[in-house]
Amino acid sequence: MRETTLTDMERLGAFDEAERTFQMTEEAFRVFYELTARPIRVYLSRMTGDDRLADDLLQETYYKFLRSNAAFESDDHRKNYLFRIATNLVHDHRRRPRVEVAASTATQEAVASPADAHSAERAAARIDLDRAMDHLKPRERSLLWLAYAQGWSHEEIATALGVKTASLKAMLFRARHRLAVILKNPGGRS
Amino acid sequence: MNSLECVHEARIVSAVLSGAWPGEDLALAAHTEYCEICREVVEVAVVLRADHEFARREVQVPVAGQVWWRSAVRARLESAQAATRPMTWLHGVTAAITIGIMLAGIGMAWPTIAEGVAWAREVVGPLVSNAEVSGVVSGVLRQSVLIALAAAACLVIAPVLLYFALSND
Repeated sequence: MRETTLTDMERLGAFDEAERTFQMTEEAFRVFYELTARPIRVYLSRMTGDDRLADDLLQETYYKFLRSNAAFESDDHRKNYLFRIATNLVHDHRRRPRVEVAASTATQEAVASPADAHSAERAAARIDLDRAMDHLKPRERSLLWLAYAQGWSHEEIATALGVKTASLKAMLFRARHRLAVILKNPGGRS
Repeated sequence: MNSLECVHEARIVSAVLSGAWPGEDLALAAHTEYCEICREVVEVAVVLRADHEFARREVQVPVAGQVWWRSAVRARLESAQAATRPMTWLHGVTAAITIGIMLAGIGMAWPTIAEGVAWAREVVGPLVSNAEVSGVVSGVLRQSVLIALAAAACLVIAPVLLYFALSND
């Protein structure tokens, strides 16, 4: 198949065309992005352990969101849908064969910024948490983060992850217990 | 309370996430002393909340306009690719139809060509006394018709083959 490229004029035209193609206006997107970009970026970073990959997936998440034809009842519904896209992208990425294993974000941060005692302490805590999260399954990481970092209800998490609320309670219980045991005993396994 | 959840869990999570844990609610704090579920909720939520708060402050995200712009360009590019896909199919189908029509035409015209050759033999035969000469003439006529047909086929097929050979560049 011949590769299609865009001229500069076509790129400019894309900007005008976007509001017809996407499900929201640029102004509405800006407002929504300001509310959600940081939580989504942190979530992607914690789920992948790779900041560069999290940046790529952030762009991909918003692109898929803008191209979707879903109807939203509320801002919360819209936000849940965005997290669902992000979760699916992380899982898709995990299924692909990996060419190289990037150094974990926590390690990069720890090497890059131990300027003062507080940041060194934060970096150490981050490494501990990253190592603990590494022992969990991807879905366990997602639901623990959504429940205890984002503060979502069981129903919201079930919707975002595409599981039944009844199953979610059992999954959350097991994941929480595993993480608590690992955090108490960082060297061992649950 | 059941074995998987505690009725106080939501209140505890809410207090931790708002930064108000353990706060004024001493009864709730006391509850976590003997409720294993709530104790684990506190342990996990405090760590995740601290990490989340720190990361939220530190994380750098591109500006909204940049994400919008990249999405717009990508949408345009994908639309352009989607638009060229049917054209490629159309070219292939057109080429197949042209070849089919050409072969059908040759098949339909073949009896006429054969008749023409036979007629030429009849006309030339009496004029030339030597039977071998008339055989040679009719043979040449048949050959030249076949060569003309092959040349016509090449003229149609060659551009089509050339198109598909170069379409990846």
